[in-house]
Amino acid sequence: MLTFVALASVLLLGIVPEQTEAIAIYTGWERHALLGSDIRLSCSFFSWRFTSDDVTFSWTYRPDGSRDSISAYVDNKGPFRDRVEFVGNPSKRDGSILIKNLDYNDNGTFTCDAKNPPDIVGRPSSVRLLVFETVPIQAGVITGAIIGVVLGLLVLIVVIYYLMRFLVARRVFSLSVSKHGKKKREGSQARQGPVPTADPTKVKAASSEKKKQESRKDKK
Amino acid sequence: MLILLAGIFGIHIIGIIILLVATIDNVWWMTDEISTDVWARWIQTQGVWNLTDLPTGSHYPQDYLQAVQASSVLACIFSILGIFVFVAQLFTLEKGQRFTISGAFQLLACLCIMIAAAIYTDRFHLDEKNGWYGHCFILAWIAFSLTFISSIIYFVLRKKTA
Repeated sequence: MLTFVALASVLLLGIVPEQTEAIAIYTGWERHALLGSDIRLSCSFFSWRFTSDDVTFSWTYRPDGSRDSISAYVDNKGPFRDRVEFVGNPSKRDGSILIKNLDYNDNGTFTCDAKNPPDIVGRPSSVRLLVFETVPIQAGVITGAIIGVVLGLLVLIVVIYYLMRFLVARRVFSLSVSKHGKKKREGSQARQGPVPTADPTKVKAASSEKKKQESRKDKK
Repeated sequence: MLILLAGIFGIHIIGIIILLVATIDNVWWMTDEISTDVWARWIQTQGVWNLTDLPTGSHYPQDYLQAVQASSVLACIFSILGIFVFVAQLFTLEKGQRFTISGAFQLLACLCIMIAAAIYTDRFHLDEKNGWYGHCFILAWIAFSLTFISSIIYFVLRKKTA
């Protein structure tokens, strides 16, 4: 009994660190392609170790409705004969393959498995390939686009409105301080030119300021 | 005065609730075993309701469906923004002025839900005889009239006290 417990604990201790150092493989979730086109299935991995020289990628293919998988590109036989090509760069952790001239028989699940010695335990990741005659509209693209455009226009209109109000208020304000501070403001460059005409505009600005103050007092 | 304010506020809130129910609940068209809408379809098989995707095909145009989705969501957004704008305008508007911006938001919401309901009426379930319109469809049209009335009230109403 004690030896059994000891053996089990040693096994567990042996397995657990390996799992925290497992390799994590990333592929797409689902890829849509047009009949007769080419598609590049990407596969990458994350590993705590440095990329070793013996890093390998392997792809297997399982047709829709079938239960057994075949190898996709290692042997030049089977449905992908002469059509599949390895275009990835193993030293850069890229294990993509290129499949040319797609057919309806290529519908299925492609599984990528990568090994980065000594990190070889991990879960392979699958990407589903769907071949269409015409690529259908993805769910929610038009919806999101319409909502985004309308809300964006609304925000734009509000921003422009407040910007115009702010700019107009700044012009009026800069007219009344040009006599005192002579601070150069961007909006008031044009106004500071003709000095004789500054007086009536200043009077108008001062009177409108007074009116605003009066109306504020009225409100209170 | 306070009763009028409560009534206007109440109409707006009821409009928001009706819009939300019409958008979220999947009951625009019903038959004996399906209940379908703009987001997904409920199919009843052997007494159990299952949620499935909407059918794709020429008789169920995807782009019009997404237009209905987008405009009903936009109607909800505009109405909810409108209630906040109304409360803000209650405190910041000067005496004698009208609640134009709140009315504008409600009018936009009315326009959007009208677009959604009109597209749905015109493009979907044209040939199906056995089936009837569900409560979400009816609520969408009711929300259209409620938001229209609400926006007219906002355009006409003037602020009495500061």
